Amino acid sequence: MPPYPVEPEQSGTRRSLTLAVVFLLAAVSVTYLPDVAQQRLAFGLRASVLRPFIGMQQRLADARLRAAQVEVLRAQLDSLAGILSTQSSLSDENRTLRSLLGLARRIGPRYVPASVLRPGTAGSESMFLLLLGARDGVEEGAPVINRHGLVGVVREVRERTAVGMDWTHPDFRASAMTADGAAYGMVENRRGDFREADRLILAGGAYHEQLAPGTLVVTSGLGRRFPRGIPIGRIDGVAEVEAQWLKNYWLRPMVLPGEVTHVLVALPPDSLGDLSAALPPDSARSRLEELDAEARTQVRLQALEDSVLVLRARLEEAMAARPGGGP
Amino acid sequence: MRSPVLVWVVVVGLFALHFVLHVGLGLGPEAPDLLTVALLLAAREVDVGKAAGTGLVFGLLEDSLSVLSFGANSVAMTLVGSLGAVTRDLFVGDSLFFLVSYFVVGKWLRDLIHWLMVGDSLRQPFVDQVLVQGTLGGIYAAVVGIVIMALTGLWREVPR
Repeated sequence: MPPYPVEPEQSGTRRSLTLAVVFLLAAVSVTYLPDVAQQRLAFGLRASVLRPFIGMQQRLADARLRAAQVEVLRAQLDSLAGILSTQSSLSDENRTLRSLLGLARRIGPRYVPASVLRPGTAGSESMFLLLLGARDGVEEGAPVINRHGLVGVVREVRERTAVGMDWTHPDFRASAMTADGAAYGMVENRRGDFREADRLILAGGAYHEQLAPGTLVVTSGLGRRFPRGIPIGRIDGVAEVEAQWLKNYWLRPMVLPGEVTHVLVALPPDSLGDLSAALPPDSARSRLEELDAEARTQVRLQALEDSVLVLRARLEEAMAARPGGGP
Repeated sequence: MRSPVLVWVVVVGLFALHFVLHVGLGLGPEAPDLLTVALLLAAREVDVGKAAGTGLVFGLLEDSLSVLSFGANSVAMTLVGSLGAVTRDLFVGDSLFFLVSYFVVGKWLRDLIHWLMVGDSLRQPFVDQVLVQGTLGGIYAAVVGIVIMALTGLWREVPR
């Protein structure tokens, strides 16, 4: 007796289920691909399907920057032109002397500016895209900074693009020290109960030392990963004491990654110099500290204005009280 | 009858809008997860295999913007697409109650699977990431999904 034929609908359902299982296995296997293969796949998608969307963010960021800073940039350009016109001969002389003395490698890193693009998709937290890459001289591990301090590090480099991670990434580590060089440790990310509560911690401080709140912590240059002297954060109190042996400190970060729109990326081979002179600890300020200082200045100016008004009123009263009633 | 062409036009439109909002404009959770909404809409129209394939493509695109946990979105979207297509055989009709539940549970499940796949070092607390943010994201997706269905004429209450 011949077997019953398989119903077409049943066969279609079976094929569809098989297809679903294949796709699911493909999805799971993607998670186990080597890093290089994952990076290639991600780059391929970013450079093809997602390219228009990434380009849109870049254009918007540029337009926003141009609209906001034209006046400021013009003023800065005028000032710089004035300074440069008086210092060009000095600069030439300096360059010649440096090259003669072979100091080019000691003067600190060279940097290229870049806009930071942040996708808002699930799982893209702690990462950013940079529209520059190997063609511009950027290499994996290059430090990323802004005027406030250390933003993060370049993690993946392609011909024209790069992917970086900021300090909120769980893999972030930076060898650090206090600005005066008195204490050393390792700065790392500590996850909070929720994402906004992620914090930086200075781990490995000596037990007998007590770092005062507000002490500036900068990169130490040890481990040859980051240049020395980039501000990372300020001490915000003791986080924990480990077995009467080590102290870990909370840090208030100098850079809030969410607010970063433009950065500088260090270029090899000079990316491991000393930035203490370029980012002096005395003038290191986070964005929040800058806002706080601006607010205090505004309060002082307001108080001054009030005092002037009061004095003017008193002067007018005194003038009016004088015999004759006039000056 | 609902036109498959219209469904796919809406799905492609949502796909593009999702990346315009999240990548082009760089918005985070304040913009709805239109990719999941698009996947859930597509999953009601196609069989399990095609829904899983669509989920895989969507997930890979999201993963390409992630250095943290490559593949987590792919697995989450593939599973959600497959399960969404299975609901076609279990539930008929487009009642408001069903659609709200479908979008809320679909989005919540996507967040749950993603949370499970990202690994210990990256995983946020369950209460914050899945219970609070996942549920709020699900409600947000449901509201947006139903509004889109109503505006585009994809919402019909009669059983097929």
